[in-house]
Amino acid sequence: MKKTFAVLAVAALSALALTGCGGSKETLKIYNAGEYIDTSLISKFEKENDCKIVYETFDSNETMYTKIMSGETYDILVPSDYMIERLIKEDKLEKLDWSKISNKENLNPDTMGQVYDPDNTYSVPYFYGTVGILYDTTVVDEADLKDGWNLLRNEKYKGNLYMYDSERDSFMIALEALGYSMNTTDRSEIDQAYNWLIEQRDTMDPIYAGDDMIDNMIAGNKALAVVYSGDGAYIMAENENLDFFEPEEGTNTWYDAMVIMKGSEHVDLAHKFINFMLDNENAAKNSAFVGYTSPVTAAYEKMQEEDYKGIDAYVPNINNENNEVFRYQDAETKQYYADLWTKVKAY
Amino acid sequence: MKHYVKLVRPYLIWSVLMIVIPLILIVIYSVTTGGNTLVNIQFTLSNFKKFAEPIYLQVFMKSLQIGVITVLFCFLFGYILAYKICKFSERAQSFMILLVTIPMWINTLLRTYAWMSILSDNGIVNTILTKLGLDPMTFMYTDFAVIVGMVSDFLPFMVIPIYTSLSKIDHSLIEAAHDLGANNVQTFFKVTFKLSLPGVVNGIMMTFLLSVSTFVIPKLLGGGQYMLIGNLIETQFISVGNWNFGSAISMILAVVILIAITIMRRMDPDDAEED
Repeated sequence: MKKTFAVLAVAALSALALTGCGGSKETLKIYNAGEYIDTSLISKFEKENDCKIVYETFDSNETMYTKIMSGETYDILVPSDYMIERLIKEDKLEKLDWSKISNKENLNPDTMGQVYDPDNTYSVPYFYGTVGILYDTTVVDEADLKDGWNLLRNEKYKGNLYMYDSERDSFMIALEALGYSMNTTDRSEIDQAYNWLIEQRDTMDPIYAGDDMIDNMIAGNKALAVVYSGDGAYIMAENENLDFFEPEEGTNTWYDAMVIMKGSEHVDLAHKFINFMLDNENAAKNSAFVGYTSPVTAAYEKMQEEDYKGIDAYVPNINNENNEVFRYQDAETKQYYADLWTKVKAY
Repeated sequence: MKHYVKLVRPYLIWSVLMIVIPLILIVIYSVTTGGNTLVNIQFTLSNFKKFAEPIYLQVFMKSLQIGVITVLFCFLFGYILAYKICKFSERAQSFMILLVTIPMWINTLLRTYAWMSILSDNGIVNTILTKLGLDPMTFMYTDFAVIVGMVSDFLPFMVIPIYTSLSKIDHSLIEAAHDLGANNVQTFFKVTFKLSLPGVVNGIMMTFLLSVSTFVIPKLLGGGQYMLIGNLIETQFISVGNWNFGSAISMILAVVILIAITIMRRMDPDDAEED
């Protein structure tokens, strides 16, 4: 027994020593949203490039922003459109060297050149999609869908819906239902949207849920939920009674994209990682795992044929003229929305 | 003995770095405006004024209310549990105290998720109800779910101090009370309960502290619309990014807790004697 122990001890020590050597390997720090990558791709990249990846996750763009503002540094971030616009304005991002991204041909051109970064100087799309309503076809009457966003005010479904616990997405719904722009800074329009949300809250008794709603929708707990198209695809793959619907009045089209943080000491490796994620096979694998729509054309087509066949949430309609991308909000407007949102939720 | 005093120094440095400086920062944030970088700040009391808006006061009152209810249930269950544990043999006692603390080895988040799967609309409880031919009930996202989650989470903090006080009681005092003609109820209130008061006070303070400032449990079991003071502070820091207002709320909460603790300490016979 003693001998075994000694052998084990030596093995443990040498393992420690070996990991010590690992320190000389190049380390890439990535900050992405939670459950937003097929983790086997991380180890694959580590193996191919003989490097180490430190992978951390956030639960919202605002959390990410707070963390990097407190001085934390990363090499690669994967924020959403409006946050990228803000980071560009605040000079927090490194310009990309597109000559190092040989897989750029794989990208769907429709997902490029969006308002938040018109020439893709800083960002490479990671996933994209829209916001829509997921509904239980066994409970919700198809005829009610013509109400668009006002379906969420239909008292037939009182106490039977999840709103998404996010200030911008909730105000987006109210503003679109009222026929305004989701990027409005007009106080009277915002106030009307606030009243829409208050009335909805009082008449409908919604639950403002976070990602726990995903499991609840799979279990069929409620009939309606506001979801990102990617989450919708994932949920629909697990529960066949559900369908996804994007109101005609227009919805938010969003992009999450990879950017390199200013001051990164591993710019080359960061480019390699971005290129790696654009590889047809890797992108398909990632998209299959996460359920979100890939901007890599081949992966997008493969998923429609295979993993997400017949699931319309995987194919969000980004060509609706009424759709908009979120824009950067100045601090004052943001505070105004935030206070109103607190008031919607706290009662 | 004297030179041991030097050993305290590292701790002093540590507490200045880790406790005093952050506290000062919170105070600075709470009385200024000008963003989170503290570069161009201006002195103001507007953060505190903002808190006086009815909506925020309402959140505050609700937190206190939920906190008090949680403490009451913790006290009720905690005292009975601690009292029963004291009746067992010493070996059994230490084993049972171990059982009480075991849940604390597991992260709060996991325990709360466990409650979610028990209480959700298609969860364990409702499955059993349906099997028994009863109508399923909605537990999730109600006061009930939040209070159940908090009571089960904070119960050990009530049981352990009370148990410690109870187990220190000299049994001959109880026998003496009986000899002098007191019945069981009289003995309990005049001797046992009085002697266990320090533990009760400590337990109440700890559970109250935890339950007014928690934000994970109400967020998960109460949903996004379940806003308590802890959630309000969290959103100000994390999603709104208004650290000034967030700090002001934290300050107000700290003062209220301080007042509550002072009042509680007055009730603690041990401390009262020292005064």
